[in-house]
Amino acid sequence: MPYALRKTIQFLLTLWAAVTVNFLLPRLMPGSPTDAALAKIASTGQVVTDAQRRAIELQLGSPSGSVFSQYFAYLNNVVHLQFGVSYTDPTQPVIDTIRQALPWTLVLIGFCTIFQFVIGTLLGVLAGWRRGRGIDTTLTLSTTFAGAFPPFWAGLLLLYVFAFKFRWWPLGGGYTDGLTPSLNLTFLGDAAAHSILPALTLVITGMGGWVLGMRNNMISTLGEDYVTFAEANGLRTRTVALRYAARNALLPPLTSFGLTLAAVVGGSVLVEGVFSYPGVGLVLYRAVSNRDYPLMQALFLIITVTTLVAIYLVDMLYVRLDPRVRR
Amino acid sequence: MFTRKSLVRVVALAAGLATAAACTATPPTSSGVATSSGGTAAAGSAGSGGAALVVQGDNGNPALVRNFNPYLVANNLRGNFLLYEPLEVVSPIDGTYSPALATGNTRPSSSEVDFTLRTGVKWSDGTGFSAADVTFTFDLLKKYPALDAKGVWTNISSVKATGDKVSITLKAANVPFMDVIAQTPIVSKSIWEKVADPTKYNDPNPVGTGPYVLDAFTPSQYTMKKNPTYWQAAKVAANEVKFPMGTTNDALSITDGKFDWAYSFLPQVEQTFVAPDKAHRTYWFPPGGTITLYLNLSKKPYSNVDFRKGISESLDRTQIAKKAVNGYLDAASSSGLILPNLEKWLDPSLANRGIVTQDNAAATASFTKAGFKMQGGQLVDASGKQAAMTIMVPNGFTDWQQAAQEVQQELAKAGIKVTIDNPQYAQYTSATQSGSFDAAFGGYGGTGNPYTDFNNALNSKLTAKIGTATTNNFQRFSDPAADSALAGLAAATDEAGQKTATDALQQIMFNQVPAVLMYYGGSWGLFTSKDYTGWPSKADPYTLPTPYNNSLWTVLTHIKAA
Repeated sequence: MPYALRKTIQFLLTLWAAVTVNFLLPRLMPGSPTDAALAKIASTGQVVTDAQRRAIELQLGSPSGSVFSQYFAYLNNVVHLQFGVSYTDPTQPVIDTIRQALPWTLVLIGFCTIFQFVIGTLLGVLAGWRRGRGIDTTLTLSTTFAGAFPPFWAGLLLLYVFAFKFRWWPLGGGYTDGLTPSLNLTFLGDAAAHSILPALTLVITGMGGWVLGMRNNMISTLGEDYVTFAEANGLRTRTVALRYAARNALLPPLTSFGLTLAAVVGGSVLVEGVFSYPGVGLVLYRAVSNRDYPLMQALFLIITVTTLVAIYLVDMLYVRLDPRVRR
Repeated sequence: MFTRKSLVRVVALAAGLATAAACTATPPTSSGVATSSGGTAAAGSAGSGGAALVVQGDNGNPALVRNFNPYLVANNLRGNFLLYEPLEVVSPIDGTYSPALATGNTRPSSSEVDFTLRTGVKWSDGTGFSAADVTFTFDLLKKYPALDAKGVWTNISSVKATGDKVSITLKAANVPFMDVIAQTPIVSKSIWEKVADPTKYNDPNPVGTGPYVLDAFTPSQYTMKKNPTYWQAAKVAANEVKFPMGTTNDALSITDGKFDWAYSFLPQVEQTFVAPDKAHRTYWFPPGGTITLYLNLSKKPYSNVDFRKGISESLDRTQIAKKAVNGYLDAASSSGLILPNLEKWLDPSLANRGIVTQDNAAATASFTKAGFKMQGGQLVDASGKQAAMTIMVPNGFTDWQQAAQEVQQELAKAGIKVTIDNPQYAQYTSATQSGSFDAAFGGYGGTGNPYTDFNNALNSKLTAKIGTATTNNFQRFSDPAADSALAGLAAATDEAGQKTATDALQQIMFNQVPAVLMYYGGSWGLFTSKDYTGWPSKADPYTLPTPYNNSLWTVLTHIKAA
């Protein structure tokens, strides 16, 4: 199938470019991991000495060899999913740090993204179908208003009011200090309690876009001749709204949903930061502030590759949803 | 395919998930909060020492890594200071020695120190501690320079043990360096000799001689319990210590009362921290270092001592401290000693304890001597060009930033055009270390040892040519008189000799202004005395309130159950 072949080649080329840029980018950043480690020591008010600098350089093992040999070693490691050890803690492989954080982000952000999309889109269908009526105005206005809050600000507000003042939910973290992550009910319940506020923040601030996008698509689709034709044929209102109008209006939001879903693995740096949520976003933030190159590279790579794969899958899915692209 | 049915199913599923999350969430929420915030209060059986002591812990990444290797300085967990003990602990306030694994030391000469080891000490695995462990530790640091972060082997030449005495010989006369030797954490030979590569070893089940042993480790908290065979077990009040991971919103947890001992700068500490529980909450913010304006001495006009004096006399240090640290701390003494910590070494001939106050007339006189004059509100040199400087302050150091803005305004009144530059820390270090800067904020002192403080700032051997990086003395001060005073202080074994040399160094610091010392940076100790009392305070300053160094050991062998 020439369409699929074309998309596959495109995918592979972009993947190679992304992997290469990911190699180059951290090397173009100013500063070194040794400086970052020393900055951490200096910020506690301790005097940094030459001996400390030397010891840390030795512990971290600064990159050696030519850029090309580093590049091929890097490609080899990427293929084997080996990302080296973290500079922040030279005894911990990067992949372990990510493995610890990924479930948190996948569950929280993943759930919220799907929830936002499904509910947002359904509300959008409703608003579009009842365009100009009270429910349309209410939905559009309220979700746009909530969506206008920057997520970290909404997060801080919710944290202060519900966790600090009312004490309904914990002050942050993924679970109560001292518990060991496991799959028993006590732990899951505890984790769920810690996830409510971040989830609320993400859903409140993220739903507006879906509602508005779907509503507008619905309205333009409802103007199409085939919708009028379907109505004229006496089909049930719900059938017309969902099977004829919504299915076609769904195509553009579905593309962005694919991309949003891919972005889930990157976590939400700001929201996770506000709630000290132990996910990938917080790892990414700490990695950047500590100049932890191996960790950063692994994270960026995972994020880009997931995004590329998601785009590829959405492209392929389009073939099923929209017969026009098959040609 | 999105048929109507499947859409309905998806909605039902989503709604179901949401309710499920909400249902399971509600009951554990209340208990979750109760255990996390009320943990200290709940177990308050007073007098027994049964309540767990909660100390604000290290930052996670974002989870804690189980790494108790005491030599990997970049990621040292605080609990290490309760596990591994040094020969002696040196006070970060005034350098007083507290015996630990050694009962004391003698100094046969200014390049030799002999430690007498304590007998009857046991490692937490039951084996006996001996001199072999000490020699093994120092050999380990020699073999693996990556572990020798304090540069022990750049200063010592040999370590010998005879019976319970360990004799260490230094390469040159250096009495102050004996502090570093004394504070080297000692590890067990029988355990560490089996470690293949100690530079990559994460020491997950540490065996130490200290007051506590590791009890439980989770990604967000570790717990230590009292070591029953500890050599001074009677002095250890708390049976259990918890270190919950430091998080991005710890300020809320602190005001919420989560910790017995926290370390954080809080604005308006009386209202935010003390007021909710006046009976139990205290704070102590002693000086921990000096925030300093470093001028590049290899550049004109900063190479001119009168110009530097003019700058120093133009500054209202109290006002700067007010802006930067809420007035919790005050102007620094320009003697180079941190007061009142090192008061006993202060040269009495220095007026006002060496604290320079703002004096515009004196500043004008100094600037005139340096060849500058005021012209239309501008301080101009002989060619009529206005004096200008760029002050570097690392990005994100908000307290320094506040101070820099005040300095900018005050120097503007003196006719100097000041620009503030906020590079990332990495750029700031490379610029200051290689000498490509006009002026830069930086820390001075705070080691508790006058020699180390002066040496880092004044020793001409520590400086480097412009373009070559140096960590210490980056303002590039060089004076034979200072070098000889430093050598004298390093070699002095008696207090009279030390006093003479320290006086000379204070005079140099005060009169030559190698760095413009401005105000004291604080150590931000926040305490709750509900379960334990005897925290370090202004009235009882036995150590600094810093939980990230040996003070942790000192405090936890000092506090009593309430």
